Amino acid sequence: MPEVMSSEVVVIGGGVIGAAVAYYLSREGAEVMIVEEDDLAAGASGACDGFISLQTKTPGPHLRLAMESAQLFPALAEDLEVDIEYRRCGGLLLATSQDQMKELRARAKALKAEGLEVEVLTVSDLKELLPEVGKEVKGGSYCPLDAQVNPISLTLGLAQKAQEMGATIIRGCKVENIVVTNNRVREVHTTVGNIHSRRVVCAAGVGSNQIGKMIIVDVPVLPQRGQILVTESREPVLKILVAGAEYLGTKANIQALMPADVEAAKLGLGFTAEQTAAGNLLLGSTREFVGFDNQTTPEAMNAIARNALRYLPWVEDMDVIRSFAGLRPCSPDGLPILGTIKGVRGFFLATGHSGDGICLAPITGKMISELVLDGETSLDITPFSLYRFK
Amino acid sequence: MSPDIPGEGDLWRSSWEAAVDGAVAVVDCREEIPCNPCEEACPTGAIRVGPDICAAPRFDPQACNGCGRCVALCPGMAVFLLDRREKSGFARVTVPYEMGERPVEGEEVQVVDGEGKALTGGKILKIRALGGGAPTLLVTVRVPESVALKVRGVRYRLMERDGFREVDKLPSLADYPLCRCEDVPLERVRDILRTGLKSLPSLRRASRVGLGYCQGMFCQSSLRQELAEATGREGEEIGSFRVRPPVRPVKLGFLGGGNA
Ligand SMILES: Cc1cc2nc3c(=O)[nH]c(=O)nc-3n(C[C@H](O)[C@H](O)[C@H](O)COP(=O)(O)OP(=O)(O)OC[C@H]3O[C@@H](n4cnc5c(N)ncnc54)[C@H](O)[C@@H]3O)c2cc1C
Ligand code: SF4
Ligand code: SF4
Repeated sequence: MPEVMSSEVVVIGGGVIGAAVAYYLSREGAEVMIVEEDDLAAGASGACDGFISLQTKTPGPHLRLAMESAQLFPALAEDLEVDIEYRRCGGLLLATSQDQMKELRARAKALKAEGLEVEVLTVSDLKELLPEVGKEVKGGSYCPLDAQVNPISLTLGLAQKAQEMGATIIRGCKVENIVVTNNRVREVHTTVGNIHSRRVVCAAGVGSNQIGKMIIVDVPVLPQRGQILVTESREPVLKILVAGAEYLGTKANIQALMPADVEAAKLGLGFTAEQTAAGNLLLGSTREFVGFDNQTTPEAMNAIARNALRYLPWVEDMDVIRSFAGLRPCSPDGLPILGTIKGVRGFFLATGHSGDGICLAPITGKMISELVLDGETSLDITPFSLYRFK
Repeated sequence: MSPDIPGEGDLWRSSWEAAVDGAVAVVDCREEIPCNPCEEACPTGAIRVGPDICAAPRFDPQACNGCGRCVALCPGMAVFLLDRREKSGFARVTVPYEMGERPVEGEEVQVVDGEGKALTGGKILKIRALGGGAPTLLVTVRVPESVALKVRGVRYRLMERDGFREVDKLPSLADYPLCRCEDVPLERVRDILRTGLKSLPSLRRASRVGLGYCQGMFCQSSLRQELAEATGREGEEIGSFRVRPPVRPVKLGFLGGGNA
């Protein structure tokens, strides 16, 4: 490796966001370098579910961003060399009380008003979509556009394709400092050497706060732990994405949908289930603020299993073979932080995707690529600016 | 006297000749071993081992009524029944059958010799069990007389499942699963290594090797070996990955039960 490297654009972070940014930039012919402290998909992108869920988004700019992103997946699935296991399988949000049903109905109305197809279903309607649900389940809402993807394959596929188009990927390379002179990014200092670059994209996930400090900007991203159980592989038994209303509650901070149980509320417990292409069920999940600890805990494993049995009693005889935890790069309002920084030219933020990074990766990559190369974006991303928090 | 006895010459001449009138035992017991169930099985005294239990059994076809008890009870499967009454160039042979798959009357099977080599095809005419707790079935197949004395068994499952396929080429090493739990072939791991992944956990994530039932107990060392070869590092430098709880598979019902 040369003493001093250079690249037109340096992308910090080899997660799904960094990979997507590098992919869209490379497609436009830009010279890109991904620097990753660990390895591709070593962060949240390698320890999460694969929901491309639209009905869980907040009506408004968030939903519009997600809908735009969802539309990019089919073309990506075609273009990437890796099979990303993309499937437009539809998704269900289940309610376990009439109050939750009421809330889901109101949300469905709001989502429909923005052009998203959502149906409110009774328990008997559910029978067509799910083999069997728990007695507590009172109904739910269904979105046929919800889809599924393998997040690890997506990350690796984007990175690999970017590399084929000329991007450089440097692993085991931690960014330690960013040199700014005359209000402009000049150089990135890393553990393997210095890189001359006038454009730097921060896609460092939960490392983004640390990166911000290097240019004296507070990027309010905190690690939020999410734990998942993995079952043995089975024949296709779950054809759609399933989540509980409380999942939406803890995710979007909707008071009416929070878990009633104190312990569950403390863990930020919300039910999710999907079956991967390999046949395993991924059962989730929690939302905990415990710093950078990404271990799983027996309490959470028990709680997730108990909760799963509430919604889908038939999972009872399945073997749990594994558990894992990931750290969501969580912003104060759960929405991504995208765009430029005042006073430092050449620095771009693509972080804070919280629980939606997989879903929002394509549109994030596209928007940041436009911003870096043209200075403007085809979609309005000002609602996601860092300065909304001030 | 029949002019030509196919195969074993004079050895079973008396059985061969008696078989024109109906089923009769052919005793193919050559070892002088301490064994006499045939003698005890035979209700007519047609088979005799005598007081020296290691003696070879002596057989009198005239006394044999073709009941087949000896066929079912001989632990060495050394007795079969021969029936040549059809006189059309075909004979009926009754052999013991103890495999799991239950044969079906009327089906075509492969008949095999004492070494398991296929002789020809034959139709199952009859299947019977003699009961008494013995699992042995008696399977009667119709075969050309020319091979009748060579038949020692029927191969049912191969016929049924695989036909007569021969294995001419072994699959290449690259196709062998390095990880059986997730069914990942070696070649897939090598493909992934070519993309430049450097750490064992990354290789696990990308390939899924070590993420299945065994959690890497069986495959981690092979994976480490592949990574070591691809990167020119030593196994110790590469280290190992952490097994994620639960260490052994546990039923969801149990995990979600009151054992918190
Ligand atoms: C349990 C769980 C379930 C989830 N389910 C879903 C879901 O179903 N759908 C969905 O859309 N989203 C989901 N998410 C959220 C999603 O995983 C994240 O939003 C997304 O992965 C974030 O991607 P990222 O690239 O920003 O971060 P990461 O994947 O964490 O990547 C950041 C990378 O930056 C590197 N880095 C950090 N600091 C430095 C530095 N100084 N120098 C060099 N490199 C550095 C890190 O090593 C890391 O690899 C889930 C998350 C969790 C935890
Ligand atoms: S077939 Fe019956 S009668 Fe003949 S030898 Fe065997 S047991 Fe005895
Ligand atoms: S039972 Fe079978 S093996 Fe034993 S002596 Fe009789 S024929 Fe021979």
